[in-house]
Amino acid sequence: MTDTIRTEGLTKDYGAGRGLFDLDLRVDAGEVFGYLGPNGAGKTTTIRQLMGLSFPTRGSAFVFDLDCHRQAVEVKKHVGYVPGEPPQFGGLRGREVIAYLGAMAGGVDQAYVRELCARLEFDPGRRYREYSSGNKKKLLLVIAFMHRPKLLILDEPTSGLDPLNQQEFYSMVREARTAGATVFLSSHILSEVEHVCDRVGIIREGRLVTVASLDELHQIRMHRVEIEFAGDVPAEAIRRADGVEDVAVENHRVHCVVRGSFEPLMTAIAGAHVVNLTSHEPSLEDSFLAYYSGEPREAVATSC
Amino acid sequence: MLRYAFRLHRWGIIGYGVVLLVSAYFQGAAFEQVAGTTAASRAAFARSMDLLASQLSYLLPPPFQLDTLPGYVQWRSYGPIVLVVMIWAIAAAAAAVRGDEDRQLVDYWLAARVSRVRLVASRLAAFGLAALLAAVAGGLGYALGAAGHWSIDWGRLAGKTLTLWLIMLVLFALCYLLAQLVQTLRGAQVLGAAVVVVLYLVDVLARSNSAFDGLSWISPFKWYDASTILAPAGQLDIAGVALSVVVTVAAGGLAALAFARRDVRGALFSRQAGAAASRDAAPSPLLSLPVASLLYRQRWVVAGWAVIMVVMAVYMVGIAKSVVDAAIDLPGMHDFLTHGSAGDPIRGFIGAFWFGFALLLLAGFAIHLVSGWASDDTEGILTAILSNPVPRWGVIAERAAAAIAGTVIVVAFGSLAAALMSAAVGYPLDAGAVFRGSWPLIPFALTYAAVGAVFSAYFPRAAIGVLGILAFVSFLVYELAPLLKWPTWAADLSVQQLYGTPFLTDVYWTGLWAMLAVIVAGFGLAALLLQRREVGV
Repeated sequence: MTDTIRTEGLTKDYGAGRGLFDLDLRVDAGEVFGYLGPNGAGKTTTIRQLMGLSFPTRGSAFVFDLDCHRQAVEVKKHVGYVPGEPPQFGGLRGREVIAYLGAMAGGVDQAYVRELCARLEFDPGRRYREYSSGNKKKLLLVIAFMHRPKLLILDEPTSGLDPLNQQEFYSMVREARTAGATVFLSSHILSEVEHVCDRVGIIREGRLVTVASLDELHQIRMHRVEIEFAGDVPAEAIRRADGVEDVAVENHRVHCVVRGSFEPLMTAIAGAHVVNLTSHEPSLEDSFLAYYSGEPREAVATSC
Repeated sequence: MLRYAFRLHRWGIIGYGVVLLVSAYFQGAAFEQVAGTTAASRAAFARSMDLLASQLSYLLPPPFQLDTLPGYVQWRSYGPIVLVVMIWAIAAAAAAVRGDEDRQLVDYWLAARVSRVRLVASRLAAFGLAALLAAVAGGLGYALGAAGHWSIDWGRLAGKTLTLWLIMLVLFALCYLLAQLVQTLRGAQVLGAAVVVVLYLVDVLARSNSAFDGLSWISPFKWYDASTILAPAGQLDIAGVALSVVVTVAAGGLAALAFARRDVRGALFSRQAGAAASRDAAPSPLLSLPVASLLYRQRWVVAGWAVIMVVMAVYMVGIAKSVVDAAIDLPGMHDFLTHGSAGDPIRGFIGAFWFGFALLLLAGFAIHLVSGWASDDTEGILTAILSNPVPRWGVIAERAAAAIAGTVIVVAFGSLAAALMSAAVGYPLDAGAVFRGSWPLIPFALTYAAVGAVFSAYFPRAAIGVLGILAFVSFLVYELAPLLKWPTWAADLSVQQLYGTPFLTDVYWTGLWAMLAVIVAGFGLAALLLQRREVGV
């Protein structure tokens, strides 16, 4: 496969240890690449370099073998982009913003625009300032997808979207990949990239730590689980379950850590009378640190 | 809350403080040079200025003791400066209401359990403090300019500073109240400007016709003019001061009430009717065309300034004949109006006053255009544009082309209105002269736009401040150069000076070439700077 995105020693040094350092990254044509990292890790800095919006301190970035800095205009003929921070179009209506930016991008299929709006349940007739943050994100997604680009660069594209629209977005990404497009998607939510990505790059403090496959990503992902049983605890079955660690039994309660899939744990407790089950997903950084240091830290996110 | 709100005014304090300081300083320092040092020369100077004042009533308050330095500074600096601080009050009030809400600062403050009343009070207090500092800077400028030339009466200076502070405060409070009625920042600016300009014109009307004196007391500008405290025999008009205080407090209270009864980011009176039809309307095809799309986005700016040009052209050309008829027999006036106008005083009046005023309007128009470019940068629109296959130089080229087109429209409307009005009042202007006076207005406005393009391309947050200072210094040089007998090259540092007097004499080609050089260099440099700049940081 040829590289759609290639960076060589890409560095953007903001001083005081902030920025992006020595990034060597390759994204293959036709793949969905997740770019994961906690807030401030350097995801947006990388994307801005790819878009030619900021310039490298050293190193270089290429899209379709075009230099992102020197051939920025040519690069953008092939790219659809969702910025992390939405612009402020004030009193323009959604369809006016689409017409305005669509004319610059060129090759926009109006029927496809209408289809995208319908899929995302987006009303393009309202004024931009009246849109919620979720609707602004939908508009940016329509703009990014509307000219069927060969590369989609999406900076935290689902922030602000409700779960139903997130699912629709995942469908759109899969369809784009099926049509031959490459997708570069940044996120700080582990579960999100699991939905759609083929490979994942993890960045922390400006440095690419690893590029992992989805299987490796599942290893990184962990949950702290607490299960309360009405009767006896199937402790041995739980301890034997794949990916289940640090099992502690206290009366009718079990505390454990689950890495990867929940299926082995569910199989282990099948048949037991479960009264309550609570799962806490730590932040990406905590999961990541725990994976590489073997020391789970305090959970910060909660899901049931 | 108060500290943060005050911080938001820091550039206003610096910018307007400098303008007030420099203006009062120069007028004070120049008094001896323009009025002489003897009582006789000063009396003669005062008489000639009295004549001039009657013709400049749209710009200057009624003269009072112009044979004294304080009286002259009060008339020449403190008089027209209200037109400058008025812009600050309108812009600051609109930003304090709609700007804060657009940036979701108000959501944050309300979530932090700041009450709506406290928020309004804090914003008024913050501007009050900022305006006080700027007014004190004006007083300091006066003291520095008068030092060594005139004994400074600190009590009178404090009184003048108080009235200047109050006019800023009352205008801010009124605009703050008006901003509650509309939903957008632009709407707040337009409504505030419209009401304030009407109030100003009411005062102007009374300056030239005593029949309107009673009506003029509805205008805060009248309350300001009524105090002549800086002049040796002047007085502080207690009624004007009291009205300023009462209206400020009342407007602030009503604004708090209005804010308590409306949604954040909503207007006090929301309108639903007619919304559905415009929601379904197809976008304008202009949005798909380069240049036209930028012009479309700035259409209200262009239309607004075109209307202002038309109104002012109609007003100034309309009064030309009657003003000249009334003033032509006054000593010195005939020479003043016929100098350079082939002995035609009406033509002289229109050349000096209408085309002179058009320069100020076009400088304002250019600054408004540049503020749109700067906003595109700070609001992420430039990032969105550059995310498409658009070269950076293309952005600057498009701005230049849109500025040319917009300026042509504004100038054309103004000049057409002037020509039609002159025919309507029985004094048809020569079409060739109108054309000769009009087309150099285009490079004049574009000179400001080009300087603004440089700063908006590299340092957008500073663009408006720099242009404001350029306009002010340019105006000052234009005023002072003939009085202080500066050499031509120094006078030509003023953009106004570069325009010349093409309506009355001929095109000032040196100035025109200089303006064209600035335009080409400015937009060229802007393209280079944008090419080398990181966007969106």
